[in-house]
Formats: sequence, C-alpha cells, structure tokens
Amino acid sequence: MTIAVVIVICLVAVSAIAFLVIARRRPDDGVTSFRRHIDALSPEARREVIERVQNARESGKGK
Amino acid sequence: MARDLAIDLGTANTLVYMKGRGIVLNEPSVIALNRQTGEVLATGREAWQMIGRTPGYIVAVRPLRGGAITDFEITERMIRLLLQRVGVSRFTRPKVVICVPSAITEVERRAVTDAARRAGAADAQLIEQPMAAAIGADLPIDEPVGNMVIDVGGGTSETAVISLGGVVALEAVRVGSFDIDAAIQNYVRREHGIAIGERTAEEIKVAIGSADPVGDENEAEVRGRDLMSGLPKTVLLNPEEIRFAIDDVVSSIVASVVRCLAKAPPELAQDFLVRGMYLVGGGGLLRGLAQRIERETKVPVRMSPMPLEAVVLGAGHCIEHYDALKGMFMGARR
Repeated sequence: MTIAVVIVICLVAVSAIAFLVIARRRPDDGVTSFRRHIDALSPEARREVIERVQNARESGKGK
Repeated sequence: MARDLAIDLGTANTLVYMKGRGIVLNEPSVIALNRQTGEVLATGREAWQMIGRTPGYIVAVRPLRGGAITDFEITERMIRLLLQRVGVSRFTRPKVVICVPSAITEVERRAVTDAARRAGAADAQLIEQPMAAAIGADLPIDEPVGNMVIDVGGGTSETAVISLGGVVALEAVRVGSFDIDAAIQNYVRREHGIAIGERTAEEIKVAIGSADPVGDENEAEVRGRDLMSGLPKTVLLNPEEIRFAIDDVVSSIVASVVRCLAKAPPELAQDFLVRGMYLVGGGGLLRGLAQRIERETKVPVRMSPMPLEAVVLGAGHCIEHYDALKGMFMGARR
C-alpha cells in the first residue's frame, strides 16, 4: 500500500516537473528558433557559401 | 561518411552543391538511352550533344518538363548517375535538398523525393526555387524589407516577394526559355518554310534573340531542312522577327511579374521602387528581358551576379545550415 502511494506521488511529481519544463520552454522556443532561422539567413552566414563558389569560379576562369 | 548535397534539378541544367566543397557538378539535364535495351549510354553534356543527332536506336531525352518529372524511371536513373558521379555509393547515403518549382503538385513533389531516395539519398527535402534563388542572390531576406526575385528557368518562370526569411507573394507560370526556343522553331517553320532542331533554335536565341530592342543587333544565317523540297537550305533571320516570334512567351513572363507585384502588400511594394527586382536563371540572360520588365512595371530590374548558380547556391546554404533552416523545406510548412 505504502509503495503504491510512493509510486503515485513520484509519478505526479515527475509529470508536474515535465509539465512545468514544457510550459516554460514553449514561448521561448518560437523566439529562439525564429532567431536562429533569421540569423542563418544573414549576409554574414551566407558569405562563406557565396565566396566559396565565387573563388572556384574565378580560379576556373584563370585557367 | 557522405557529404550532404543540394541539387538544382532544373529542366535545362542540373547543378549539385556539396556541403563544405561548393558546386561539384553542372550539366544539362539530359540522358541518352538505348531504345532497345533501355541501357543508359550517356548523361549530361555528352547526352546533350546527341539531341536530334542520334540513330534510331538511341534516344536523348530531357526527363523533366516545366520543372516536373515527365518520366519517373528515367529521372531516377539520371539522379542515381549524377549522385554516383559526385561520390555517393550504396554505403554513403547523404541528406539531399532539392530545388523544385513552387507550382508543382503534391504528386510531382512525391515523385521528386521518391526518385532521390531510390537513387541513394538518405533523406530528401524540397525547397522552392524562388526562395533558394533569393538566398543565393545574396538579397537581404533576413530583414523586414521587400525583396523581389524573378527566376526564369528552362520550363518555369517564378516571381516571389520575400521578407523576413519567408515568401510573402508568389506567382509562377509554366513557361520558360524552352518555350522561347519552341516559338523560334515554329516561326522559322511557318514563315521561312524550313525545319530546324531544338539546339539550332537555342543558338538563334543566344545569337540574336531579345525581348526588347537592344543596341548592336546583327542578322543570323540559319541552316535547316526545306519543308517543300527536303533539301538543306539557308535563310537570314533578323532580331526584329525573332522578337516578334517570342513575344507571346515574353509577354506571359512579364504578366506573371505584374501579377506578383499586384499581390505584394503595399508596405513592401514601396521597397521595390528603391531596391528593384532581381533577375536570376538562365532565361534571365535573354537580352533585353530586364529592360522589358522594367519598361512595363516601372520598377528597376537588376541582374543577379551569378544568375545560373543562384538557386543551387541558396539550396547549398540550406544544406550548410540544415537544422536552422529546415523550417523552409516544403513539407515542413504544409
């Protein structure tokens, strides 16, 4: 009987913690992922890819 | 370990970008097959040279039309061969991002992803061509300003307004530079009575084709087969008649740009007057096209610095920042 009560209390506690963690993270996640998305599209982030291809193109022309 | 790939599977050309390496393949989307055995004889440039010049048992085909797969099996074989050429094997299965026209149907989308997966990709994601083009054309799409990109490809022309990393307005027509070639072929057949091939029509377009009068215009001598006598014949074409021949196609591209402008929210529309629109894609290289769009829309048109590579560059950027940008893939938003 005591063991069953302890298990139920543990399950409730774990569920409550999980709920709180998810509830706290949710509003933040949208902002973070949108920021990450926008940052990944910034000219600085894109420079590496564009320069890599431009350099290859110029070295190809030089040959 | 396979390096992830970005593929611009165009009606005219296929470009492959390898993560960390850059563009590793740029070839015409053509495959040559033995009609009797079904065996692949050549792909890419080699197969392109065979178009219209093959004996009866060989067929050189473009498996994509209007940006969509017309022959699933041939496309799958072409993708498999392309992947093999860039080092993909049975044991190295990369993630692949493929650029497709925004107007393709659900069935066509499934056909492209299935073809890539069967050809050896571990995962295949799709991205809309105008979005990839805007990323590759180095437009400030991360800012809350109106960026307009016009992508004129072999089989489709797409115009998109992009702001804050997403598509705001989009307009696509299944008309592209192959339709310009076909219009030239039909005109020469109708007005001069000679039959010319697909490649000759393309050469005429490159040599004297224009969407609007441009300076330094010359005539071109064209050789074909006389429809009456069946004998080889030479005729002289001038740029004005080619402009007339392709006017319907050009007008339909310009009309789609106008429709996209009309769809754009007013706050973004004013940005275009200052920032202009950017032209990408092989079809955008048609002389006088930027001038014609500018004349009809009263909005400045600029040519992207790398018009042919812009789409694959954008997709390449997505493969480099896969996790941050996976929300842009077509399945992720629908």
